Amino acid sequence: MNRETLRGIGGVLIFLAAWEAAVRTRLIDFDYLPAPSVIAAALVEMAEDGEVFEEIVHTLRAALAGWLIAIVIGVVAGAALGLSPRARKYCLASVEALRPLPGIAFVPVAILVFGFSLETELVVVVIPTVWPILVNTMGGFAAIPSRLHDVARSFRMSPAAATLTVFAPATAPAILVGLRLSMTLALVMAVAVEMIGNPAGLGYAVVREAAALRPDLMFAYVFIIGVLGIVLNAALIGAAKLVLPGEFKRPRAEWSRT
Amino acid sequence: MIRRLTQFMPPARGLAPLVLLLAVWEMVQRGASPNFPRPSLWWTAIVNLASSGALRPAVEATLWTFVAGLALGCAAGFALGLLIGTSVAVRQWSSLLLEFLRALPPPVTIPIAVLIAGYSPSMKIAVIAITASWPVLLNTVAGVANIRSLLFDVARSLRLSRAESLWTIVIPATIPDFLLGVRVALSIAIITTLLVEMFTGLPGIGVLMILGQRAYDSAQVFGLLAIVGVLAFLLGLIFAIVEGVVLRRWPPRHGALR
Repeated sequence: MNRETLRGIGGVLIFLAAWEAAVRTRLIDFDYLPAPSVIAAALVEMAEDGEVFEEIVHTLRAALAGWLIAIVIGVVAGAALGLSPRARKYCLASVEALRPLPGIAFVPVAILVFGFSLETELVVVVIPTVWPILVNTMGGFAAIPSRLHDVARSFRMSPAAATLTVFAPATAPAILVGLRLSMTLALVMAVAVEMIGNPAGLGYAVVREAAALRPDLMFAYVFIIGVLGIVLNAALIGAAKLVLPGEFKRPRAEWSRT
Repeated sequence: MIRRLTQFMPPARGLAPLVLLLAVWEMVQRGASPNFPRPSLWWTAIVNLASSGALRPAVEATLWTFVAGLALGCAAGFALGLLIGTSVAVRQWSSLLLEFLRALPPPVTIPIAVLIAGYSPSMKIAVIAITASWPVLLNTVAGVANIRSLLFDVARSLRLSRAESLWTIVIPATIPDFLLGVRVALSIAIITTLLVEMFTGLPGIGVLMILGQRAYDSAQVFGLLAIVGVLAFLLGLIFAIVEGVVLRRWPPRHGALR
């Protein structure tokens, strides 16, 4: 392990120790701020109870299903817009007008249509998640060098064959950036909609424990959500490195550059 | 001025699909649909809401919390980002901690803040400031870390003090990354503002949406959704204009020299 990693771990330990000490000595005295050791005990309690695993599966399923739906919509629409300047001319303003609409504003609409259900969750996850994929795919396809178009033409490829065998690999890194941004977003939206829309999963669990005045369990759930985000991200990076060795570079910051 | 505005927007004919969708919606939907009321009914519902005097205070409350929270969050994120970024040691010690906190979805801040600080308008602003500060902080840290070391050599040979080199070298070079962070913070702040209103019932557009949904007044919910869309679009446009002006003065420097 290099020095930087060790220092990183040290930083976390110092933070936890300071938190523990501040709460124990009542230096920080909020009614509902538990010490890290109490939160750790709550995590053990939850693991023994086992209900948490169902909640993890629920949130994970909603986020990943929404993400997959968004990938299909985003990649298809993005490729169409990227390959055809005319389609861009007649659709881009609509995309730009709809894109800023915050996904969370669709929660009341989705509840009216689908009730408190998984469908509501999916609607709210899919709508904002589509945009990063669509925009990055579109950018990738629009930036294909004209040489590659010439290659496809000189091999007399059909548009479908050219898209799949020539253009798609050339745009894969750009699409990947969109996939990564949108996966983080899918988890965020799933948790958010569970807090106010669909009473299930980890987002609801956080709210439920807060209402039950069990801050230890609430912080334990928050911790689990954070770990879930890191694991998903690492899994995607691992998969990307397998598919595109060398091509994949880490974007500078999370949600940026949509 | 008009030309300057249009440079941020794609051609208006691109709005055709959106207009077409709304027109078809208007023509297909005859009666008062409980789920998908036609757009002209949205307008009536919003006019009713406005004449009842409920709309204006809600829009004002939402915009005020949004602007105050975002401004506070950006200032705090930039200051902390400079603090962490300019010291290699602090950067390394805090790296893992930041990595974990960044993985937490912003919405979970809301139940934590409610439980610890209780319901109040200042809690609302604080929650938005905290969630908005993250992307600004992370991008600022990354921006400082990527300043070419040549520039620091310049500072050393000119015998600039720490404060002088911060003011003349670090801050100007970090502004483009800071703005990238603000762009992300903007969309996060909109989401958090609506979510915190829906969650806590503190006055704002989010509450009106939830009330409309509970009363099965779908026209009102769709109308408010349209208002949110317009507001989010305008806020994005204002930011793009400010960003354009600022970036002309402090352009991003992508150089091979590091």
